[in-house]
Amino acid sequence: MEIFNYAFMQKAFVVGILLAMVIPCIGVVIVLKRLSMIGDALSHTSLAGVAFGLIIGINPVAGAVAACIMAALGIEAIRRKLPRYSEMSIAIIMSAGIGLAGVLSGFVKNSANFNSFLFGSIVAISDMEMFLVIGVSLTVLLLFVLLYKELFYIALDERSARLAGVPVKIVNFIFTVLTAVTVSIAARTVGALIVSSMMVIPTACSMQFSKNYRQTVLYAIGFDVAFMIIGLFAAYYLGLKPGGTIVLVGVVFLLFIFIGKKLLGVKG
Amino acid sequence: MNKGTKVILLAAAASALLLSGCGQKKEVNDSGKLNVMASFYPMYDFAVKIGGDKVDVKNMVPAGTEPHDWEPATKDITGLEKADVFVYSGAGIEHWVDDVLKSLKNSNLTVTEASSGISLLKGEEHEEAQGEDHEHGEFDPHVWLSPMNAKKEMENIKNAFVKADPANEAYYQANYDTYASKFDELDKKYKDTLSPLPNKSVVVAHEAFGYLCNAYGLTQMGIEGLSPDSEPDPARMAEVIDFVKENKVKTIFFEDLVSPKVAETIAKETGAKTEVLNPLEGLTDEQLKNGDDYFSVMEKNLTVLKEALE
Repeated sequence: MEIFNYAFMQKAFVVGILLAMVIPCIGVVIVLKRLSMIGDALSHTSLAGVAFGLIIGINPVAGAVAACIMAALGIEAIRRKLPRYSEMSIAIIMSAGIGLAGVLSGFVKNSANFNSFLFGSIVAISDMEMFLVIGVSLTVLLLFVLLYKELFYIALDERSARLAGVPVKIVNFIFTVLTAVTVSIAARTVGALIVSSMMVIPTACSMQFSKNYRQTVLYAIGFDVAFMIIGLFAAYYLGLKPGGTIVLVGVVFLLFIFIGKKLLGVKG
Repeated sequence: MNKGTKVILLAAAASALLLSGCGQKKEVNDSGKLNVMASFYPMYDFAVKIGGDKVDVKNMVPAGTEPHDWEPATKDITGLEKADVFVYSGAGIEHWVDDVLKSLKNSNLTVTEASSGISLLKGEEHEEAQGEDHEHGEFDPHVWLSPMNAKKEMENIKNAFVKADPANEAYYQANYDTYASKFDELDKKYKDTLSPLPNKSVVVAHEAFGYLCNAYGLTQMGIEGLSPDSEPDPARMAEVIDFVKENKVKTIFFEDLVSPKVAETIAKETGAKTEVLNPLEGLTDEQLKNGDDYFSVMEKNLTVLKEALE
């Protein structure tokens, strides 16, 4: 097929499908923990990290990862203080991140440099970024499988997880760091828009059908891979911007699922 | 009246006094120089060259910033209120100009659109209409990239200065004459260098070089349309890659002020190399420190163009 003649499209498919498999794993837990907006919060905070990295002269991607980890741990800490209002912790960290990024960006000398770290695009991925994504994806998948049971307990009910002997603190810490690293790397590579939507929309679709946690995860991955492939094909053959297209494919799917269920009279 | 209210009233009265004092001072231009606001780098450069030590020129778009997305801040508006001359290039690159000028109360301001009198090119868009290019009207605004157009812009700026400050007419005219001949030289150099070269196609980050290409018989293929910094669509990228392969283009040009990611992706895929072709929309701090100006950048552009087209 013509679309696969181009190296940049091959890379887009490799990276896109990998991320589409990894991000929903995190997304399902995030949604169950009522932290759906964490993707947005972290990708905004990573901008502050990029700016800081450029100012003090360290690798901006490392700066972004560090900022994301701190932000994610901050969200965890606030969430533990205010367990009933976990959304609030995200709002606080997001505003702090955007504010910091705004102030710091004023000190960055060359805006081109800044822009190139802020806005990734799935059709312009460098080799280094591709290897980073592959590395991060494999790590996340591995840890997700290893901590499958623990994460499941914690996502459903932290208190009973603790009573059942799950090392909640450690698992939460690992998961938080994983989320932060995935978001910062993925946002830089394929764009923040795709990352935050990939966490939530496939999970929402999958929850309309799934009967248990395991199915939710598997369906979410299935949906996300499908959105990615359809989105990339549509973007290529219709000449659309890929980031927005991939997100909209997901949203349209979700709409159809809602309408379909209504028409068939199935109860969700 | 309690104490708190008194303090607030006093503070208000004091600040009102202070403000009115400042207002009166503004009227007098103590340096005796013409106060000029220039919309972005080439306008600034030309204004400095014409005005020399008779003018104070301020570049509104800071170094290292892309002018397409820039909008004036409060201090720019106050700057315009105090200025004697405002120079902008026009043809739609400063999309904020109309709104801002309408809101100004400065009746002494001489406003000049430097591109007036230049025949404008229609904006060449790709097949798909580019919805987000709202800041560009129907015309390609990058007029200053052809030396002869730049000369015309400088002439318009000179006329504005003469109008605002007739006493120094001879000075401005002399400066203009000096640089006019430099523009002619540059134009000749471009013609002599580019016309014998076998290749005529350049691939650029965004289609800023329409006037330059027109003047010297080149064609440009832009990865982006007239505005940089939007996400590229894959169909367009595939098209550019095919074009590069078919025409054996050796160099993909990108810009200092725009992310080189897409240009690098295409270069990697086609085996071409990447090189900076500066659309002079702004210089970085570093370039300013090195003493670069319109002419030195255009010379550099010519060198890389020559290498790419040989």
